[in-house]
Amino acid sequence: MNKAAEMQAVVEMTRSIPCAPAILPKLLKLTEGSAADIGELETLITMDTGLATSVLRTANSAYFGNASRCDNIADAVLRLGSKTLYRIAANTLTGRWLVHPLRGYGWEPGDLCRHSLCVAICAEVFAGMTNLADTSTAYTAGLIHDLGKFALAYANLSALDDVASRVPNEYATWREAENAILGYDSSQVTKALLENWGFPSAFISVGFYYQSPSLAPDVDKPLVTLIHAAKHAASQLGYGVGADGYYYEPDEKCLTEAGFTEDQMEAALPEILSSMQRFVAPDGVVHFN
Amino acid sequence: MAQRQQPLEDQMRTLVVGVADFKISTDPFTYIVTFALGSCLGITFHDEKNHVGGLLHAMLPNSSIREGQKIRPPMFLDTGLPLALEAMVRAGAKRDQIRCKVFGGAELMLSDKFFRIGSKNIDMFYQLSDSLALDVVAWEVSGRVNRTIRLDNQTGDVLVKVPSKPEFIR
Repeated sequence: MNKAAEMQAVVEMTRSIPCAPAILPKLLKLTEGSAADIGELETLITMDTGLATSVLRTANSAYFGNASRCDNIADAVLRLGSKTLYRIAANTLTGRWLVHPLRGYGWEPGDLCRHSLCVAICAEVFAGMTNLADTSTAYTAGLIHDLGKFALAYANLSALDDVASRVPNEYATWREAENAILGYDSSQVTKALLENWGFPSAFISVGFYYQSPSLAPDVDKPLVTLIHAAKHAASQLGYGVGADGYYYEPDEKCLTEAGFTEDQMEAALPEILSSMQRFVAPDGVVHFN
Repeated sequence: MAQRQQPLEDQMRTLVVGVADFKISTDPFTYIVTFALGSCLGITFHDEKNHVGGLLHAMLPNSSIREGQKIRPPMFLDTGLPLALEAMVRAGAKRDQIRCKVFGGAELMLSDKFFRIGSKNIDMFYQLSDSLALDVVAWEVSGRVNRTIRLDNQTGDVLVKVPSKPEFIR
């Protein structure tokens, strides 16, 4: 099989994963306005049993619950508000994906979920500090930025073990090794997946360019740079970072042009950690409710 | 490496230390573990004779970045290390019997201006270990690896796990 066909086969394999996060773009659109259509939200949420369950459970949790029990999605939507709802949806839909042990990257079960969540939270915090993107878009982009790695690992390619064993002695960066050994890299797979699922072009740019934001189209560069910054800040915290995690080069020129400073990013880490520790227990177990 | 006498592996209890946290145990049949250090430093403290062990997971070098704000002392090396030593002594360790081991401080490639927390943490630890006269008996720092560490409170051995590699003892 040639390299392009093999990559397409990797993408096709992920179609069999139950409940791919394909409804996320529609949900994002519905929740980003100030007056979300509750009927439409209800219809969308009830399409996915697991998501509907998470929404109801959270609406009835000690944090959100009040004297009356919430037993339908429309009431839950009103009680939670669109931002919380979106966070639950994004985490539920991508989280169920990212819990498998994954070949090549040395991830333990749940590592990609923990890492993606940490990138999402870093992106949300950095978006609040800058004007590079709105916080919901940044959060989603953080969650989905590396789905191509999941697809590669899900396809269980033995060549991934070869990649792992040849960095750094033969190839300086993980991406260089993926291109040399696989004939393509994980960002190309992320792009193909997000295109298949109908994600907006800005998210596709994030998946494809986040490792080298200087190359992103001008219109998407602010969001791509934000995720580049978030990715590397999250790696510092260590959550779910696999064997590949530190074999990437930060694009310092792009970060500087976007207005980031090292001090600013370090000063944000305590807030990022507090957010992470709301969702991730010290033993690494992720809980979204 | 010290010899383990008893008990069996499955009889050991485990104490988990989160990021920006410090925990201590006086039970020799305990592992104290912290996951995924990244650029943070994990510092183990152990008094073998008195079976007092502790583990600090510090995220940043200096608490001055939060000047005027409420801080969690174990988050920073400058506040976490003195706190850890005091807690060890209060729990029964003898100050001159405490041995330290240091792990973590991972770094990205070719980073001159950003994401240098790992090397800053290591530099700060050097300074503080000098001023606090720490007895540092093992180092496993820097590089491009995410480390999970587990202190065996009976022996003081630290089991280190990095992605895709077998566990080893320091």
